[in-house]
Amino acid sequence: MMAIGVMVLTGCYSNNCPLENTVTCNFGCYDAEGNAISYGDTITVTTLMPGYKTVYTYRKLGNMTVTKDYQDTALINQGYTETTSQQRKDTILVNKKYGASNIKVPMSYFNEEDTLIFAYQMISLKDTIKIRHSSFPHVELPECGAYRFHTLRTVTATDAAFDHVEISNPNVNYDGSINIKIYFNGVVE
Amino acid sequence: MRYLYRHIIVTACFIASALTTMAQEQQPQPLMPGEKPKPTKYVAVEEEKQHLVFFQGFTLSGDVYGPVAYMVSDYGTMEGALRLNLKNTFFPIVEVGYGKCSKDDFNTKIKYKVNAPYARVGIDFNMLKDKFQSNRLYLGARYGFSTFKYDISVPSMTDPIWGGSGSFSMTGNKCTSHWLEAVFGVEVRIFRNFHMGWSVRYKRELSSTKNEFSKPNCIPGYGYTTNTTCWGATYNLIFDLNWGMKKSRKRGINIEIRDIPQQNDDKAAEQEDSQKENENGTEETGNDETDSSDNGVDNNEDGADNGDTEGDEDGDTEEGTEE
Repeated sequence: MMAIGVMVLTGCYSNNCPLENTVTCNFGCYDAEGNAISYGDTITVTTLMPGYKTVYTYRKLGNMTVTKDYQDTALINQGYTETTSQQRKDTILVNKKYGASNIKVPMSYFNEEDTLIFAYQMISLKDTIKIRHSSFPHVELPECGAYRFHTLRTVTATDAAFDHVEISNPNVNYDGSINIKIYFNGVVE
Repeated sequence: MRYLYRHIIVTACFIASALTTMAQEQQPQPLMPGEKPKPTKYVAVEEEKQHLVFFQGFTLSGDVYGPVAYMVSDYGTMEGALRLNLKNTFFPIVEVGYGKCSKDDFNTKIKYKVNAPYARVGIDFNMLKDKFQSNRLYLGARYGFSTFKYDISVPSMTDPIWGGSGSFSMTGNKCTSHWLEAVFGVEVRIFRNFHMGWSVRYKRELSSTKNEFSKPNCIPGYGYTTNTTCWGATYNLIFDLNWGMKKSRKRGINIEIRDIPQQNDDKAAEQEDSQKENENGTEETGNDETDSSDNGVDNNEDGADNGDTEGDEDGDTEEGTEE
């Protein structure tokens, strides 16, 4: 009887892990007056990573300049001039998102500062956001795994398409709230 | 929904039939045509009743479910309890134990460990109508709390984008937890003052100290905090330290309704009375059941007599004090 009770009580175990468990820094899009908008251009977000990479640039009179991450002998055979340079490694976090009202971007686990580059299709200029933050591990339940939460310290940005940025909620976790508000130039009528 | 309606209808029919039966039992039997109702009289009968003394003693108990649970799962307890027995009805209780949880999750490789004491205070209520018997069926409530430190260690975490990895372990996370429990249990006397019993507990966490890194996964005395509520159980070995029930006797006057013998039956009644007097000598009381069976009228007994009888049959040590 007692053995059955033990088995029943120890067997009835269900976890309560969060359904939304992706830790991202959420950017909200607003116009210059603070109205929530869907940005009418494609946005590509790239982040700089530690370390450097060799970039190969090919130029030929009367042709577009071509930049590649690897050496292209075919272009050299076509008469292009190759120059190499060292650049920070980067990776794309958001690729050509159109009509964005919010953008979710992961944050680094062990770096104190993340650099995000916002590129647009209609504007040749790019915006750079630098986010200083602290990171710490979080365990809700052992069966749910460990996550890395972040606390935002400071945010700075350029002003190509941005009017300004501000921290809305410094606690970056998986609750889905807006952490940083981006105010774009212009006002929605 | 259809089953619910059926259940309600069947329950209502059952209650209605039970009430009808009870009403019929309380009503006197209908008279036959031409029959006159028997005259009755009120008779004062002196009788002796037994009452339980307020303080019945202490009870010590130990739980054997907790150690067994620890052998087959990650969590277990060692627990003992001291309980007061008030009129064999109310049982204020203090439970003290030591909880142990050592969990190593197979999938995430996260280890959680806690060893700490805990305590509960509360009260049980014996729901059995007959308080003189040694078996108990009780409902109760507990307030539990524990102050403890827990350790968590997480295997290496790798940043999937920026790279790098690191592990961490946090030891000595201080936490205080409070919870409530609703208890349902059974207790049966096995031999003299030795009882055994089990209880099922529904627990609800009130509060626990949290920090930004984690929350306690397992609370000593409460169990897993996966949800805000959980179930628990105990299987107790119980020793009554009072060595039997303490009873006191009270004399009282009970009013009974008896039939007045008819004139035709006077001689027969006198003969019966004389026979009884010869048989019982001077004993006058204690013939309630005989009278009531003769007359077909229920006595207004409150069930205490039955209790007295059973209490006496138990063979418990009596410390009777006549008042």
